[in-house]
Amino acid sequence: MLDQQSLPSSFQFSLRDADIERRKIIVDLAAEDISRITALKDVIAQEGDRYTDDFFRYLRDLGEAPALFGRRDAFAEAKRRKREHLTALTNGVYDQAYVEQRAALALLYSRYGLETRAFLGAFHHLLRALGGDIMKCFPDDPNGAFQRFMSLKKVVFFDIGIIADVLMSERERTISQQQDAIRELSTPVLQLRDGLLILPIIGMIDSQRAKQLTDDLLRAIRANRARMVVMDITGVAAVDSKVANHLIQTVAAARLMGSTVIITGLSADVAQALVALGVDLGKITTTADLQGGLEEAERLLGYRVVRLAEAPGRLSA
Amino acid sequence: MAIPILKQADVLIASLQADPTDNDLIQLRDELADRIGRLRSIGVVIDVSALDVMDSFATRTLRGIAQTTRLRGADTVIVGIQPDVAFAMVQLGLTLDGIVTALDLEEGCARLRKYADDEASRGS
Repeated sequence: MLDQQSLPSSFQFSLRDADIERRKIIVDLAAEDISRITALKDVIAQEGDRYTDDFFRYLRDLGEAPALFGRRDAFAEAKRRKREHLTALTNGVYDQAYVEQRAALALLYSRYGLETRAFLGAFHHLLRALGGDIMKCFPDDPNGAFQRFMSLKKVVFFDIGIIADVLMSERERTISQQQDAIRELSTPVLQLRDGLLILPIIGMIDSQRAKQLTDDLLRAIRANRARMVVMDITGVAAVDSKVANHLIQTVAAARLMGSTVIITGLSADVAQALVALGVDLGKITTTADLQGGLEEAERLLGYRVVRLAEAPGRLSA
Repeated sequence: MAIPILKQADVLIASLQADPTDNDLIQLRDELADRIGRLRSIGVVIDVSALDVMDSFATRTLRGIAQTTRLRGADTVIVGIQPDVAFAMVQLGLTLDGIVTALDLEEGCARLRKYADDEASRGS
């Protein structure tokens, strides 16, 4: 179910040997640490099941990640991988396979909604239990026991680094997917009449969206042979000088293509903000609302909209 | 390669091919200025839809053509500027102020006829 291919692409680079070595340097994991850790193998390995149960019980008691506990197969998988982790933790081999295992477990956490803070809490709980047991195993040598524990802690932080990276890159991936979806939905260019397009803009315009908007509009002008465009910005709460300049550039580019743009729906706030910014909208036709803009556009295109009852030469009343 | 100039009724049509050299453009300017007077045309349509770049020299020459034809009693319409070209030109500040643009050849010819009609009605 979880193989390397399902790891987020942004994470793949960390699987290179050089990156893994770098991660070890970051947590200051040296050869003497590894020999200390392998000495703990028996202490931890025999209690692996208990630690695993404890880890998940702690999470469950906190009420975190209900989705993980609600799915029997996912929970079993997470438990199996956690058990695997505890064995690998004291094996002393922290190579590509080890990192992949950590990343796969983190991906499972992320998929079932385990928050980073909850994971850290539970992992620390596990670490406290481990620390206590290590101290108990070496009653005559508290100093040595502490050193062993500190060495183990380096590996633990090595793991946390990997897991945090996966959780974060997963979150970023979700956000970027949502942004893509919003981008696709957010710039409709609609043909209202032959040669007349309307472009209703709703929400924030950042520079990327402004660029997309310009691209879509200019292409639509070409595709629909539009002589007039009514751009309605009623739904835009704020316009800064950058966005205003972009709008002006779009209007100028549309003019070069032989199309006239009317901007409608400048709210009082936006109008005042533009004046305060000193943006020159003098060359652009603007109207207060969409209706005014459409009427102006129809007039310029030579349309006249009349009620049927008032139309000359009507066929029937 | 010289840019072909076509005569369609009382309109002259110049269709720019991809990547015209500076010389081609200058030659076009001179040729158009000459023919307008000779053929008594009402205007010129310059189709640039084949261009995917428009540099400052091309822009300046087109502006020169528009001004020359105006002095010779005709109008100029530039048609078919591509979306990417249009936006790039705006970003470079080449906005062709005061020059008429239209979507395509058909629209450009219609625009010239309209100007000629307006002028005729004003004259009568």
